Parts: sequence; structure tokens; C-alpha cells
Amino acid sequence: MNTSKGIVLFARNNEKIDYLKQAYFLAKKAKILLNLPTTVVTDSKLYLIEKYPDAEEVFDNIISVVWKDNNQHEQTVLSKNEDHSLKTYRDGTLSKSKLKFKNRLRSSVYDITPYYETLVLDTDILLLDNIYSFCFDQCDDFLIYDSSYDLANFRKTSEFVFVSDAGIKFYWATVVFFRKTHINKIFFDLLQHIEDNWYHYKSIFQINQSYFRNDYAFSIAIHIMNGYNQGSFAKSMPGKLYHTTDKDICWDIENDRIVFLLEKEKYVGEYTALSWKGTSIHIMNKFSYNRCIDKVIYNV
Amino acid sequence: MDERLEKALDFSNFMVTLHNQLRVFKEQYYQNLICYYSGGQFTVTQELITFCNMMSTRGYKEIILIDDNENPIEIEKLEDFLTQILDIYFRASNSYLNDYNKIKKERSVKNLVDL
Repeated sequence: MNTSKGIVLFARNNEKIDYLKQAYFLAKKAKILLNLPTTVVTDSKLYLIEKYPDAEEVFDNIISVVWKDNNQHEQTVLSKNEDHSLKTYRDGTLSKSKLKFKNRLRSSVYDITPYYETLVLDTDILLLDNIYSFCFDQCDDFLIYDSSYDLANFRKTSEFVFVSDAGIKFYWATVVFFRKTHINKIFFDLLQHIEDNWYHYKSIFQINQSYFRNDYAFSIAIHIMNGYNQGSFAKSMPGKLYHTTDKDICWDIENDRIVFLLEKEKYVGEYTALSWKGTSIHIMNKFSYNRCIDKVIYNV
Repeated sequence: MDERLEKALDFSNFMVTLHNQLRVFKEQYYQNLICYYSGGQFTVTQELITFCNMMSTRGYKEIILIDDNENPIEIEKLEDFLTQILDIYFRASNSYLNDYNKIKKERSVKNLVDL
């Protein structure tokens, strides 16, 4: 039996956000903290290798996909038509831009991954501990978080509890662990079907957001796998998922410590400083996270 | 601005930062209390420690516990498990106490986040 294990990241840059930088940083941290190899799926392999000459050492595999706007001459192992949704990306409370949101393909991870046991991470996860290594030591074949703790602690989080007011339970596709089993193959095939028929499922499950979101697709697929009910198909990832939103600012990273400026309640444009240490966290403000990575990327 | 109000606002800002910092220390304390054993996830509580200690004192070498994900987990070496959860409990509590003691002495926002 194939018992290989590793991490898979999806990193597809848009006009302003360098997801590959985050992926490169994350892969380096994963090697140290989790002792796991990382595969990156990207539409910018040439850029990656050009910008980070040691990328082929840092990553176990670099898998190319086609982004249909690009005229790339790279070897392609996957190809998919996508509708290029626009999403508002914030950099704190006062700055925002509408950018392309290239989040498709995650449903193909079952076929893409070279590993028997795979940990799928968003590139904006900052690894500060080894908590995810425990996924590989437990017996459940599919793990995902159904809740996340917002460090600001005052914002409404109902959208992260249910997909809509009268909707189903929400799951975070940010961190997912799975083994290659027959049941999981059914799950990921279903996920692809949901993605292919997104407007139908979006309507059925009363999802108002205009763009495709993996969290919703995973939530719907889990709901269906559980017999259109709440059930035990998906078990919880180890520990808790913590996050800061894109209205907060990632200010500084130093070793296992990070300083955030958290949005201040009722005072737009004002922030409260917070120091966070030694626990992995999901940082949604990609602009400020990338600025912090720039300062430390070669010190890992 | 009236100096009295300015001082009060400075202090108010400090208190918000202090409150947030204490809140995340507590969050991280609970995260640090998690023990992974035999494929199960257990949050170490005083109740869990007492129960395991009681079973061990009564001569049990192995027990079955329900973990955080409600899976039944066979603990084959109870003594070893008890040692591990005690170690986790002390490490998490000490770390929380250290952070708490450091922050208690600070009087500026800068020092609170520089810890």
C-alpha cells in the first residue's frame, strides 16, 4: 500500500497578489515544522522558478495548470475552463481592490495529489506549530474544520456557522486532510459535480455570494454525503482554526511571534495591536501578509 | 484636546489591548492543553486527570476513553497516558502563567505586544 504523505497547495497569482510567495514560504515552514514534502499546483511555474531559484528543492512537485487568459507554453497536466469571478480584497479597513479570484481546481485535488495521505492548505496559513502532523496519526479519513476563531472576537460570524440564514452547516476548506479511499473518491467526484453545476447548487442552497467559494462547495458536498443531514462523514481537524480577516493588518513576523493590528470595533480606520505566538493561523489580509513575508522569507 | 481626556483615552486604548492580549493567551492555553494519543484527540482537563489517576490507582492498566471527536479510543498504557497528560497540563499552565505575569507588569501598548 502507498503510505506516502504530504501537503498540496494551490497558488495562482492575480494582478496584485503573489500567492506563490506565500506557497514558497509555507513549504519552507512545513519542511521544518511538519517534516512533510509539499506539492504546489500553479499556473505560473516559470515565474516561480525564476523568482525562487531553489523552488524545485523547496517543493517536492510543481504541477502546472492552465489559466485560460494566459498564453503560457508550459507543460500542462490539467486544463479547465473557469469563470473568472471578481472578489473584493481588503488591506485593512480603508483599502480595497476588486481582483480576480482563481479558486477553482481544489475539487481535483484527489486526482492531482501524489500522496496517499494529503493535507490541503490555503497558502495564507502561517504555520507556527506542528498541530497538523497529528492528522496523519489518527484513524479518520477525512478531516476539516467546522469553525474558526476570529482573533478580533467582536465581528458577526454567522456566515461562518451556516452557509445562509436558512442554510446548511458551514465548513472551512482552508485546511483539509484526506486519505485516498473509495469513499473520498466519491466525495471529490461529487465536489467536482457541484463545481461544474455551481449556479444550480448555489440557488438550491440559497447562497447569495456571487462568486464560487470552495468553503460552500465543501459544505454542500459534506451535507450530501451525510444523507442531506448533519452527520459524521467529516471529522474535525486537530485543535482549533484561528483567523484574522482582511480588515486586520499583519504587521510583523519574527520567528514564532506575529503582531497584528486588529480592526477596532466601531472606529473605522483604527486598530488594536495584538501579539500572537506559537499557534498556526489563517491570515486573510494577503497584502499585509505578503509584506511581512518579504522581510523574513529568506531567514526560514 | 483636554489633557485629562487625552490621558483617559490613552489608558482606554491600553486597556483594550490588554484585554485582547489576555483573551488570546487564554485561547492559546486551551489549544496547548490538547493531547494526541493513540489516534485520538483529548483536551486535558482536571476531570480527565482525576479520572485517569483514579483508574490507575485502582489498578487498571488500560481503559477506553471517548475523545474530543467522540471516537472511542483504547488507551493501552494508562500510566504512560497519565504521565503525558500531566506533562501537557503543567507545560500549558506554566506558559500561561509566564505570559500572564509578564503582561501584568506592563503599562504601555508597545510593551504589551513586544513581549
